[in-house]
Amino acid sequence: MTTRLQRILLLATAGAVALGLGIGIAVWDRHPPDAAALLALSLPDTQGTPQSLRQWRGKVLVVNFWATWCGPCREEMPEFVRAQRELGPKGLQFVGIAVDQPDKVVQFAKELDLNYPALIGGYDAIDLSKSLGNRLAALPFTVIFDREGRIAHTQLGVLKPTQLRSIVAKLL
Amino acid sequence: MGVANRRRRDAFLGLAAAATLAATLPALAQVNPLPPEKAFRFSARLVDAQTVEARFIIADGYYLYRDKIHFAIEPAAVGLTVPRLPEGKVKEDQFFGRVETYRGGVVVNLAVKDPKPGQQIVIAAESQGCADIGICYPPTVQRVTLALPAGSIVPDASGDPPQKRWFN
Repeated sequence: MTTRLQRILLLATAGAVALGLGIGIAVWDRHPPDAAALLALSLPDTQGTPQSLRQWRGKVLVVNFWATWCGPCREEMPEFVRAQRELGPKGLQFVGIAVDQPDKVVQFAKELDLNYPALIGGYDAIDLSKSLGNRLAALPFTVIFDREGRIAHTQLGVLKPTQLRSIVAKLL
Repeated sequence: MGVANRRRRDAFLGLAAAATLAATLPALAQVNPLPPEKAFRFSARLVDAQTVEARFIIADGYYLYRDKIHFAIEPAAVGLTVPRLPEGKVKEDQFFGRVETYRGGVVVNLAVKDPKPGQQIVIAAESQGCADIGICYPPTVQRVTLALPAGSIVPDASGDPPQKRWFN
């Protein structure tokens, strides 16, 4: 590689990194994500039975905020079902928090053969997701916890299968 | 080419390459979606003493669901007539079946049923939409305050119910 090309590439990389850093910092919520608040949560499942998130302590927990009225949310869920089936035995646990009506959630869960809990969240759940970094209160929003209950990753928008697998592999 | 010129050209090429790299960073598309009030900007104006032109301006790369648009007026007692909303683009949704969406914008003329001269009214519009990058927003309410054309000022009726009542 000629020194001239090296210089150009160096400038290009420096520029791109600076830009990426700037945007990353701008987007990060000013308050540190409140992991404890989420893990202390108890929400009803589709049968109305309260389910505390604490029961999954020690697992690699993937909490996915979603709704049936959110197309992208529905699209990413089959992959979650697959990952739950394959990696559940290793300690991976998905929990869906639906900002939705229970009957719609039940219907969709049946269609998908959902193999992980679907809890009903309401708009308080959306407010909680805001405290975790979801500034726009949009869906889908996913928070991944390590086995110690620390937040390892948050994602606004669809979580691509390769990204999900790579994050989770490091934590399991 | 002299050394100075070559250096200048390299610097320029470097910056150009940086700009291109940055523009193609896929992360950029994910990180900065608009807040819903900017993605689906609502405005309203009086066309005449009894008609409100309600308008959503929808940013590029975003869309609204036709059946999730609702209008209300405050105070509710004034009453609002909401016509059938314009046709949207039909999509077959796997779960919900036939769904209509709006892109670019949508305009609706609302009729104020019982306007009082000089009265202040609020038009509230609820909408729900998504972004092409793959996120959806919860229903959002935006409000515009309008002053009906003045005649003599009539005091507001007291005891109007505080709860929202959608007129469509």
